[in-house]
Amino acid sequence: MADLSTQNPCGLAQRIATALLRAGGGTTASLQMPPLQGDSTDAGQIGLNAPGFLSLPLAPVVFRKARVSMQDGELPKYELLVSAAAVTTQVTELQLSSAQALFARASGVAVAGKLFLIEAISASENQGQAYLYRLLLQEASGEWPM
Amino acid sequence: MQNAKDTFYIALRSRLASVNPARTMTLRAVARPGILVSEAEAPAAQPQLDAFALSWTGMQADLQLAAILAQMTCEIQYSTVGTQANAGLDRGRALEEMDYEVLHLLYPYSAQKMNYTVNPATAMETMVFWSEPEFGPVVTLRDRLSRTAKVTVFAFQEQGEQ
Repeated sequence: MADLSTQNPCGLAQRIATALLRAGGGTTASLQMPPLQGDSTDAGQIGLNAPGFLSLPLAPVVFRKARVSMQDGELPKYELLVSAAAVTTQVTELQLSSAQALFARASGVAVAGKLFLIEAISASENQGQAYLYRLLLQEASGEWPM
Repeated sequence: MQNAKDTFYIALRSRLASVNPARTMTLRAVARPGILVSEAEAPAAQPQLDAFALSWTGMQADLQLAAILAQMTCEIQYSTVGTQANAGLDRGRALEEMDYEVLHLLYPYSAQKMNYTVNPATAMETMVFWSEPEFGPVVTLRDRLSRTAKVTVFAFQEQGEQ
């Protein structure tokens, strides 16, 4: 049976999450996004042309090492906790349909000058609205500064 | 050898556009036929659904001939979860459609080798040719069906070619 009780989302959970992330040492991460005008040439599809990724800042975020057992030779994994308010701002600005669409377009995340690959994404919700996104990241092997 | 890999991909991409014009994807803000070279795209945790991903794995060179004959293994990986309209219950049919398309993409088993590092691309002197596909078993992960078809691609290394 459907729950017909009245719920008025007021953005409280989003504001608390943002405040907690900021208070917990919040920093800025940059999603590596493809340019708005993609490269449709042959050279752009065979790795000849530079992709021209754009940096899309997300703040506040908290970056920490994930508690996962490490295998021999495996790169460490990290978690990025992202404020849903920051994500919503970028989704609106880029006129995307959802946060999932935003993360699906990203080729990686740069944090503190290092590139990380997105392994998985989950959202915490309150009253049907996301207030926090959790990205599981793996360190990229390339050591070039971002 | 890179010219052979580029030629193989562009040949299959052009054929896919005529075999099934509806199989398209949007990758890096470009709508294009649903085929990609894995090593030329950003690494992804999940495979692109309903698209063909080429991965270059094995490599051998025959040095006994007048020109070096490179023999490279290309794995064509593809996955599907079916369609939303059929609640994914057509995923077996969707995979079979992709199997059929692989057969059509690969035939004829050759293409003129091209150099795509110059603009416009120029034809080279030899052909790139390849074997019939060797289909692997279906791999099921939850509602996703995947298959890998292996193809051996042959190309002569031409004078001055890197």
